[in-house]
Amino acid sequence: MSRSVAVIGGAAVPCGKLMERPDAPLQVLEHEVLARCVLDAVRDAGIEKSRIGSLVFSHPRVYTRQLYFATFMAHYLRLPADGIVMEVLGNGMTGGLAFDQAVDQVANGRADVALALGTSFEMGADTAAHLNNTMRATGDVDFQSSCGFTPIAWYAMDAVRYMHEFKATREQIASVAVKNRMHAAHNPLAQYRKPITLAEVMSQRMIVEPLGLLEVPPRSDGAACVVVATEEVARQTGRPYALIRGRGFHHEGAHQISEVPTDMTAFTPATIASTRAYGEAGITAKDLDFAEIYAPCTIVEVCVSEAIGLLPRGEGAAAAAAGATTLGGDIPICTSGGLQSRGHPPYVTPLYNVIEALEQLRHRAGERQVRDAALGLTICELGNYNAALVHVMEAVA
Amino acid sequence: MSKLDIIECQGKRAYPPRRSELTAQFWDALAEGRFLSTRCDACQKLTFPPKSFCPHCWNQAVTWVDVPKKGTVYSSTTVHIAPAIFGHEAPYDVCIVDLDAGMRIATRLIRRDAHAVQVGTRVELVVLKYEDGPLFAVRAVA
Repeated sequence: MSRSVAVIGGAAVPCGKLMERPDAPLQVLEHEVLARCVLDAVRDAGIEKSRIGSLVFSHPRVYTRQLYFATFMAHYLRLPADGIVMEVLGNGMTGGLAFDQAVDQVANGRADVALALGTSFEMGADTAAHLNNTMRATGDVDFQSSCGFTPIAWYAMDAVRYMHEFKATREQIASVAVKNRMHAAHNPLAQYRKPITLAEVMSQRMIVEPLGLLEVPPRSDGAACVVVATEEVARQTGRPYALIRGRGFHHEGAHQISEVPTDMTAFTPATIASTRAYGEAGITAKDLDFAEIYAPCTIVEVCVSEAIGLLPRGEGAAAAAAGATTLGGDIPICTSGGLQSRGHPPYVTPLYNVIEALEQLRHRAGERQVRDAALGLTICELGNYNAALVHVMEAVA
Repeated sequence: MSKLDIIECQGKRAYPPRRSELTAQFWDALAEGRFLSTRCDACQKLTFPPKSFCPHCWNQAVTWVDVPKKGTVYSSTTVHIAPAIFGHEAPYDVCIVDLDAGMRIATRLIRRDAHAVQVGTRVELVVLKYEDGPLFAVRAVA
């Protein structure tokens, strides 16, 4: 990239239920919640409003009444912009694309400061009705959705295949949920913070076999804003920041599955994207101090941890069960609590992951702080990791 | 080419696939117990769903062929929490199958008995004949 880019601020509301049913007398409105995040994030960054040149929004969910949300927000915040004002959309990767585009705005000189921001409000809709909608995003609507595939059904099939190939146990995979809850206990942004046991995870009702309630993401609303800037602006603030050292993206040209048989649990796009990011950063996976992974289900975290080189192939579940990915372990993963416990407002989840990485790299993560965290990774995806987007960031104090 | 077994199903399809001039050829053949797709005249690769061109080499000359019905389960799951429109069918099984023709599909899995189907099980394509039209699925080979 042409100019060095830093993440200098961020703010989000705790994940959970914000949105009311349409007939409720009092509503929680997306733009009101997001405006507070913007003010908090910009204060956190320590910059003047006038320096903001670009606004890249994650597209709101279908339940958001206000259309042309980005331009409405530019008005609501009275934010004239010379760089860009736009919304991006890419399923679970949406928030990551907003972040990446904001980084581009700064790297390419379109803006010295850019915001990546958005809301994901969906709790006003029933789960079953909501699934009528989301199943259309994770399959061929004519040739696959007609069979009843749900978004996480694909991850469940990852789990079945992974256990078959590597003889991993249900308990090993389920341990990821226990670990993530332990991390979430110390995260004020987390939706679920009460510790859980492996026995509790194992005894939940099935959602998609073999994944029970605590191994799949909860439904969540959320809103977040991340501030990125040139490294020069970052230095001028006099505050610690996270320097973007490397980026990588890959889409394998397949939607859920291709008709050409491949190794589905290898998550090859994550390997390709992370290899590119490591190369740009001049590091290897071993240099990372933590990873904040977009993993809706326990098994997904296992597969990603292998795909991006943190753990050997086929050993991720056993390593997680042995504590390697727990705070204090070899490579802490999802110190935020991950999608199962921190929460999963899908279109902004990657922004929450960037905020967690920023908190870790500024050493502001409190009881969930990774000691001496210097290099961190965020990764997000769409489909069944058919595409992956990776950012490697470094702490600068 | 042996035809697919046709299983009579009550009622209408929960989420019926749309028909285009192209894909109507697939659904009409399926109703007759044939599973068709398109093969590239140049690189000979099969594709699915059928297309008017080869997605691999972008050649525009393709030929409709019968796809042999047998394959092996690559993975499967049972969906307990289903979209509202599938609620009356839950729990139900879906799977990914590697057909012997070298083609991977994702589809509904019909059990022969109460037991879940394991990875590696040999299966065959079948037709689910609903009142409003067909769907395809797989079932363990008897």
